[in-house]
Amino acid sequence: MNPSPPAERPGAVIEATALTKVYPGGVTALAGLTVAFAPGVTGLIGANGAGKSTLIKILLGLLEPTQGMAKVLGYDCVKEGMSIRQFVGYMPEHDCLPTDISATEFVTHMARMSGLPKTAARERAAEALRHVGLHEERYRQIGTYSTGMKQRVKLAQALAGDPRLLLLDEPTNGLDPAGRNAMLELIERIGAEFGIPIVVASHLLGEIERICDRLVAIEAGHLLRADTMDSFTRASQTLLIEVEEGTAALAQELARRGVRAQPYQRALLVPIAGMSTYDAVRDSVAALGLPLSRLEQRRHQVEEIFRDDAQPGQYTQLEAADAY
Amino acid sequence: MPTETSRAAAGVIHDLGYRRYDGPRFGRSWIVAALAWHSFRSAFGLGRGAKAKIVPVIAFVALLLPAIVNAFAMSQGSARQVDYDTYVPALRDLIMLVFVAVQAPELVSRDLRSRVLPLYFSRPIKPADYPLAKYLGFTSACLVMLEVPLLALYGGAVANVHGGSAVWAETKALIPGLLIGLLWAVTLAAISLFLASMTGRRGFATGTVAIGFLLTYTLAEILLQVESPALGHSAGPPGSGAAPAVAVPLAEKVAGLFSPFTLLQGVRLWLGGTNPGDNVPKPGAFGAVYALVLIALVALSLYGLAARYRKARLS
Repeated sequence: MNPSPPAERPGAVIEATALTKVYPGGVTALAGLTVAFAPGVTGLIGANGAGKSTLIKILLGLLEPTQGMAKVLGYDCVKEGMSIRQFVGYMPEHDCLPTDISATEFVTHMARMSGLPKTAARERAAEALRHVGLHEERYRQIGTYSTGMKQRVKLAQALAGDPRLLLLDEPTNGLDPAGRNAMLELIERIGAEFGIPIVVASHLLGEIERICDRLVAIEAGHLLRADTMDSFTRASQTLLIEVEEGTAALAQELARRGVRAQPYQRALLVPIAGMSTYDAVRDSVAALGLPLSRLEQRRHQVEEIFRDDAQPGQYTQLEAADAY
Repeated sequence: MPTETSRAAAGVIHDLGYRRYDGPRFGRSWIVAALAWHSFRSAFGLGRGAKAKIVPVIAFVALLLPAIVNAFAMSQGSARQVDYDTYVPALRDLIMLVFVAVQAPELVSRDLRSRVLPLYFSRPIKPADYPLAKYLGFTSACLVMLEVPLLALYGGAVANVHGGSAVWAETKALIPGLLIGLLWAVTLAAISLFLASMTGRRGFATGTVAIGFLLTYTLAEILLQVESPALGHSAGPPGSGAAPAVAVPLAEKVAGLFSPFTLLQGVRLWLGGTNPGDNVPKPGAFGAVYALVLIALVALSLYGLAARYRKARLS
C-alpha cells in the first residue's frame, strides 16, 4: 500500500455534516454538528466537554459517529480512516511520551509507525525536532525534559510524517506563559510557512486567538459559530464601564438612551455600535453624576465567555452579543 | 492577533526550510512488521540502556549453559546429557518464567504507563494491529530464548558424534525439540503479554505475570506430588509409546491441567514425547484434553489482549 498524498484542494480540509455522537451511556457528545474547516490555522474552541475531543476522534476515524458524516482531506472518516491517519498528524492533549528514550529515537520510531522507511524516518525526525527548536538536547532522555520541551516533542512526532493536516489538542496545556507564547509562535509558523492546515483545539480562546485565521466555536456538541478571526473580534468589541456606585442606575440610564448594558462582575458591558455608544456612556455618567472609575475598550470579550471557569449558560452571552 | 505584515516578517526572519516528504509511505502490514521488530528488540533491551539488557542477557546465558556443559561432557567422551524436547525442565521453567515476567511488561506496560497508545492509534493501523505486533515480536523473542540453546546443544552434539547416521539421529531428535520450543513460545508470549497488559506499572505487571505462572505451577506440582506417590512415578517404561504400562489415575492427569508449564509437558507427552518433565504423567488419550485446554488458554489470552486495546484506544 503506497497511497499518494491527497491533492491540494482549495476547499475545506474538514467537512462535517450533521455529525452526531451519542455514547453508549446516553451522553450526547455531538449533536448534529455541521461545520467546515478551511486551510490555515483554525481554532476549535469550546469548554471542557463541549465535544472537541470526540470530534477529533471521529475525524481520525477512531470513533464512529452515531449519525452524519465527516470528510477529512476528502477521505470519509468511517470508511477511509486509514488514509486519513496516513496524512494527519495528531498531538494529543495529555502526556503521551515514554521517559526512558531520547526524543530522536522516539520521533524516529513514531515516523516509522506512520509508514516511513527507516532512513527517511530518521531524517524527518531530525528535521521535525529542529523545526520545533530541539537541538542538542534531542539526544537526551525525554524524562529529563521540561514540560515545554515535552510539548515540542509531541508536536514533532505529529510533524515527522509530513502531514497534510495537523490536529493539535490543547497544545499549550501545562505550559507557563513564556512556554505558551513559544508554542503558539511555533504553531503559527508551521501554519503560515510550512503551509500545513492546522486545527488547534483549546478551551482558552484568549490564548489561541492571536494565531488563528478562523475560529470554530462549539458548545454541548452544537456549532456555536464558525467565522474568520476578524469578524469574531469585531462582533465582540465592547466597552467596560465601572462606576464606584450606582451601577444599576447607570444601566437604566443607558437603556433609556437605547444602549443595552449587561452586568459583568461589578461593572457593565456595552456593545460598541459606533461613536454614539461612547457619547451615550459619557452623557449617562455625567447626567447621573456617578464616580466613573474605569472605562475600557475590550476587543476580546469572547475571551471572557470562553474562560476556563465559564458556566455553560454564559455561552449565550456570545449569541446575545452577536444579536446586536 | 496576527496581521499580514507580522506573518510576512516572521517568514523572512525564520526561514526554517520545511521540506515536503514525497517518498514512499508504507501501509499497515509494513508498520505492523516494524512494530513487531521494535518489540522484539526491546524484549532483549536492544535500543535501551545497559540496565535493560541485564535480565535478558543473564537469562539467555543461563539457558545456554546446559548446551555448553553438554558439549564439554561429550568432548570428554560421555553420551549426550541433555534432551532436545525437554532441555532441562526445572531450569527452563524458571528461566523462561523470569524472562517473560520481566520482559513482557517491557513491551506492553511501558506504553500503557507513558500513555503513548493514542499516538499509535493515530497512525494508519487498526486497533488490533498493536497487540498483534507485540505478540509477534514477543513470540519471536521467546523463540530465540528457547531455540538458540537447542541449536547450540545440537551444534555441540554434532561436533562430538561421528558418522552420518549419528548426525541424522541428532537431527531427528532436534526437530521435535524445536517444535516444542515453538509451542512454548506461542503459549508463554500470549499469557505473559495478556497478564502484563493489565497494568501500566512495570513492577506490578512483573508481579502479576510471575505470580500467575508460579502460583499455577506450584498448585499443579503439589497436586501432582500428592497423586504421584501411590504410583511411584511409574509413568511407563521409556519408549513404550502411547499406551502407558501402568494406568494413571484421572486425578493426576487433571492436576497437570492447572499450569501452563505442566500443560506444555502434557501436550508434549501426548504428542509422543518420552522424557518425563515436571512430574506430569503420560496423559494417554486424556492428552487431547491437555491440547484443548492449552489452545483455549492461548486463545483466551490473545482475545483478552486484543480486548484490552479495543478499550484503550479511546483514552
